[in-house]
Amino acid sequence: MIFIENRTYASQLFQCGHSFCNDLETGVLFMEIEDKIRELERRSREAELGGGQDRIDQQHAKGKMTARERIYYLLDKDSFQEIDKFVVHRCYDFGMEKKKIPGDGVVTGYGRIHGRPVFLFSQDFTVFGGSLSGPFGEKVCKIMDLARKNGAPMIGLNDSGGARIQEGVRSLGSYGEIFKRNVWSSGVVPQISVIMGPCAGGAVYSPALTDLTIMVKKTSNMFITGPQVIKAVTAEEVSAEELGGAMTHNTKSGVAHFAEESDPAALDRVKEVLRYLPQNYRETAPIAECTDDPNRKDKSLNTAVPTNPRMPYDMKEIIRAVLDDGVFLEVHRHFAMNMVVGFGRLKGISVGIIANQPRFLAGCLDINASVKCARFVRMCDSFNIPLITFVDVPGYLPGVNQEYGGIIKHGAKVIFAYSEATVPKITVVTRKAYGGAYIAMSGKHLGADINYAFPTAEIAVMGPEGAANIIFRKEIADADNAEETRDKLVENYRNNFASPFRAAELGYIDHIILPEDTRPKLIGALMMLQEKKDSIPGRRLGNIPL
Amino acid sequence: MADIAAPMGGKVIDVKVNVGDAVNEGDEVLILEAMKMELPVVANESGTVKEVKCSKGDAVEAEAVLIVLE
Repeated sequence: MIFIENRTYASQLFQCGHSFCNDLETGVLFMEIEDKIRELERRSREAELGGGQDRIDQQHAKGKMTARERIYYLLDKDSFQEIDKFVVHRCYDFGMEKKKIPGDGVVTGYGRIHGRPVFLFSQDFTVFGGSLSGPFGEKVCKIMDLARKNGAPMIGLNDSGGARIQEGVRSLGSYGEIFKRNVWSSGVVPQISVIMGPCAGGAVYSPALTDLTIMVKKTSNMFITGPQVIKAVTAEEVSAEELGGAMTHNTKSGVAHFAEESDPAALDRVKEVLRYLPQNYRETAPIAECTDDPNRKDKSLNTAVPTNPRMPYDMKEIIRAVLDDGVFLEVHRHFAMNMVVGFGRLKGISVGIIANQPRFLAGCLDINASVKCARFVRMCDSFNIPLITFVDVPGYLPGVNQEYGGIIKHGAKVIFAYSEATVPKITVVTRKAYGGAYIAMSGKHLGADINYAFPTAEIAVMGPEGAANIIFRKEIADADNAEETRDKLVENYRNNFASPFRAAELGYIDHIILPEDTRPKLIGALMMLQEKKDSIPGRRLGNIPL
Repeated sequence: MADIAAPMGGKVIDVKVNVGDAVNEGDEVLILEAMKMELPVVANESGTVKEVKCSKGDAVEAEAVLIVLE
């Protein structure tokens, strides 16, 4: 559109009717401005057509949008400003010098989402299979540098066959430059990766270094080595979808945080997530208008936690009942379902929710849940998003596999992340908070600002059965009726210790609240913490157990 | 045919279906006790119970197949 407007304006000024002007004084032949503009338009159209109509049709046939269609869908109308549209590769090997397409397989630029600036790249599978050349990488690096320096989110739309083999090590160098920038931008601006096609080999590490990865079901996959290489090396047969499809990475590996049905759904998810995030680490997330009463009580919460401690319940019901308008954007929904994390709002303020989920694995902390929790806590802390933690955790999951898998170091990540976080931290213990897991789940001792407990809370070093068996071992062994004695002692322990009162007497719990008051209490605490300024003792870098 | 497996190691405290029963996706088919919690195990798809591979009181390992559907 812009070109046409310019052209009309230009041709009014310089209309002379000839294709070339002869400068009478110098004798030099000049190309007429109209022809120059025509040339610009031609090249521009060439770039916009990418790999050509046939390849675009193939892209559509797979149910995929093109690189440019994705950009126009994602950004606010007419906000896209492209750069490096005419970049071409500089490869003179394997006949590549005869094949040049302006843009070289990636569209880069900036624009707006919900009126806020963002930077993005969109890999174009129709051009050399979206493969990454040296100049392709330089384009991506240029836009990433702009995003970091200007403090706006960086969004990567990935649809690439990997390194451009004809370019050799230049392609690898470019990947390295991109990875370095992902790391430099980490914690500076939000980085979101959307996987909308293949993403294989080294290419997977750029998304892996970003804050959130969104995958499109059926059309996207991610793996370090593909099914053919795996078959050749280990004789294992696996399909690309099984190996690295959206659901594989959303359920098994935890590499991806969202699985969406289609390209538009994945792009909608980007827009939704950005609402909860600030532009950069110096800012706080935008505050939304809140029409939900901050003092709203919810009687149903009084019975949300079953009185029988053996009965599971859905923690997400409590989360939704408390948040503004019941809206909870769950992150990592399919992975480690014994832990729930996501975004919501309290009186319009963006908050990060972390919660144990008693419905899965009894809400135990295991390796996956620990990693999921710690990573989310750190993302929220990076971007000044307060943490609200709901606790119902019987402990760490016992098991040989867990110990061999390193639950010690992975569980330590939770403690590290919470202790390091300086954003407002508010905790609600709904039921069980036992042992090391009590400490880890944003316990007072790790620096939580306000710790609430429901009257149903059981805060102790371990469950009544285990504790009674150890403390009263001799009494139980000596008793005439061991079973009856044990039951009595367990009951006794339960009544005296499996409650929130011992912790409240020590000030480890700031207040025991009626469940129906959870929303007003959380909002009250959050308002009190709005000006919180805190820092941990100075050092160069904390060494999180990785 | 689909297998319903134990989500975690624990004790079977109730089996709610018998061979030949029709179950729908999401139906509770048995209750497992683990970490002092009663965890309902649900059918991941609809079908007919072909085999029940555990009984009340059994200790089962994580991922052990408990019920086979067809």
